Amino acid sequence: MRQVLVITKRELNAFFDSLIAYILIIVFLGISGFFTWLYGSDIFFTGQASLQPFFSIAYWTLFFFIPAITMRMIAEEKKTGTIELLLTKSVTDWQVVLGKFFATLLLIIITLAFTLPYYITVWSIGPIDHGAVWCGYLGMIFMSMALVSIGLFASSITNNQIVSFLLSLFIGVFFIIIFDVLSNNFTGSFGQLLSYLSLSTHYDSISRGVIDTKDLIYFLSITLGGLILTESILSRRNIVE
Amino acid sequence: MLTKKKVRITLLLIFGVLILLNIIASKFFVRLDFTEDKRYSLSDATKNILKNLHDPITVTAYFSENLPPNIAQVRQDFRDLLVEYANKSGNMIVYEFVNPNETQESEIKAQQAGIRPIMINVRERDQIKQQRAYLGTVVQMGDKQEVIPFIQPGAAMEYDLSTTIKKLTVKNKPWIGFLTGNGEPSINEMPQLKEQLDILYNIDSVKIKADSTIPEKFKTLVIISPKDSLTEGQFTVLDNFLARGGNILVAYSAVDANMSTAMGNQVKSNFGDWLKKKGIEVDKNFLIDANCSTVMVKQQQGMFIFQTPVKFPYLPVINSFAKNPITEGLESVMLIFASPLKFNSLDTSIKITPIAFSSKKSGTEKPPVYFNAARSWSSADFTMGSLPVAAIAEGKLAGNKNSKLVVIGSGQFIINGSGQNAQQLEPDNVNFVSNAIDWLSDDTGLVQLRTKGVTARPIDPSLEDSTKTLLKYLNFLIPIFLVIGYGIFRYQMNLKKKNKLISENYV
Repeated sequence: MRQVLVITKRELNAFFDSLIAYILIIVFLGISGFFTWLYGSDIFFTGQASLQPFFSIAYWTLFFFIPAITMRMIAEEKKTGTIELLLTKSVTDWQVVLGKFFATLLLIIITLAFTLPYYITVWSIGPIDHGAVWCGYLGMIFMSMALVSIGLFASSITNNQIVSFLLSLFIGVFFIIIFDVLSNNFTGSFGQLLSYLSLSTHYDSISRGVIDTKDLIYFLSITLGGLILTESILSRRNIVE
Repeated sequence: MLTKKKVRITLLLIFGVLILLNIIASKFFVRLDFTEDKRYSLSDATKNILKNLHDPITVTAYFSENLPPNIAQVRQDFRDLLVEYANKSGNMIVYEFVNPNETQESEIKAQQAGIRPIMINVRERDQIKQQRAYLGTVVQMGDKQEVIPFIQPGAAMEYDLSTTIKKLTVKNKPWIGFLTGNGEPSINEMPQLKEQLDILYNIDSVKIKADSTIPEKFKTLVIISPKDSLTEGQFTVLDNFLARGGNILVAYSAVDANMSTAMGNQVKSNFGDWLKKKGIEVDKNFLIDANCSTVMVKQQQGMFIFQTPVKFPYLPVINSFAKNPITEGLESVMLIFASPLKFNSLDTSIKITPIAFSSKKSGTEKPPVYFNAARSWSSADFTMGSLPVAAIAEGKLAGNKNSKLVVIGSGQFIINGSGQNAQQLEPDNVNFVSNAIDWLSDDTGLVQLRTKGVTARPIDPSLEDSTKTLLKYLNFLIPIFLVIGYGIFRYQMNLKKKNKLISENYV
């Protein structure tokens, strides 16, 4: 566990020492803030004391934001060769993967924490439903976990960051849009399966304020699946033919 | 030794377990409802109804199968709901699902039962096909049955099912009388209210003449917007009704508007005098409120005619309620040409409590008033602070028996109207009056259900536009500046650390 913590801390520090992290966070907050407060179906337009406008836009901004963070996580280390250095230390592949996973997740949680002024403002101007807001944030964190593990997997199979970014978007787009759209065109159990696979079904379910074990298991399964795949890609070098 | 085969088997096993876990989880799950109003859990009202069931109830759900997932979800939700109903009722509720699309006979049976099909688009072999889908249910108890022709998804589902069960189980529905004959609208002009009252009550109209009495079966009398004056004899009949313990709901405004002349005048009815004797005076002025609804105004600009919504303070929106069974769960009631109330009771045996108030920016206007939609309103027009618009009076209102009276300072707000002029009312308008009638008739069983799922959580309407703009930009910019600030701070710290490291006397 200590090794995981060390890697998490190092990764997080490296993030905040690079300009790219700030640019990403500012773009995320800028787009989310713009559509939450200034344009489209923003909070004053809907006239409701609810953070729902923010949650629906964050669903999309996170989809782009997370691959942009995860793309360099492993790909860059592979390219520069530092991954060899890291893996020859007394850490297991799992500890490396988990360390990088938690670092990214923490970065996203910190970014989301910067949107707490939204919550405080809406709280002060109307009867907000606190339970629904916290569930909305929880939903975003669970969704981030799934997307981060997909992003790490994409980053582990290539040493090109752009390829990693596009690959992670490509896998993500299935869970974010394609399953959802397809499920509306199919009937019966195949449609049910597609609807279950779609991330939006589960995200919407949590962000309305209800925590369902179904949704938790879904998000944790995708996260775990992605991490296991990442780990097995990393451990490929140990395979004896 | 790690071999390819080993990795493959491990991966296969792990993913198999994950898939199995998901399948199990989708069948057996626990739900925690964190919404403030417990919108997605059964309300206490439903639990009470189910607890008091004495005879078994059969629910036959006619739901089509093979529907697109978003509609199939309704079926799943309804099944989950029925499971919970069955549990809470100690298995007094038995249910079965029938697929009407299976055979022609079952489809005819569903239609005969009163289930209405809806048309949905289904994609089949690269073509969009229209299909008839059924999403209805029949609820039976003994030889009585009620039909829900179309199940609406969401919170409405629980309301529909619980009220239908309640309708079947209510024995000896109490009678509610609607006073007519003095310029009041007929019951048919209030279909929304009637529909809700039908669940628990029998409704009939009542005409009163001097020297008559209101039939014994009525415990509650509803008087909506009497436009004409009543005779002394008629008032005596009302007093006698109160004296024998009857309860009265009055929705009456002392002012009225004539939209064809755009003029507002006093109502020529002496009904206010009778109320005044009971300690509640309906002010003969228009209530105006900065927190109000809008009217559509036609504006011509060049060749084009635009419809623009314009704030109309004569339609006050009431958001402020005292804690009371009548106002439980209400969020916004829109009054139409209302009068504020004043209280002047000298009789200490009568307890008067105001239950609904206008916003902090209110005022009154003395009739006659000319309605000018183009008028621009400023805070100078609303000088009075919040005014009561509804009140309850309890005690010895007439004679020696205790009785209850509810007065609401607007009559129009509950009338849909008839024919072409019929309009849809805000759901809370209807909830307000039905809650009041429930309270008067000592049956508050449905109050919670009625206001459940009303999700309006309006932002404070008294916010100035300038404050709004400020809040918008502050919220947009503050998080960004916080991030930039932290970046600069961190950069400075790193620089300091670096300088320390390269300075000579380090070590």
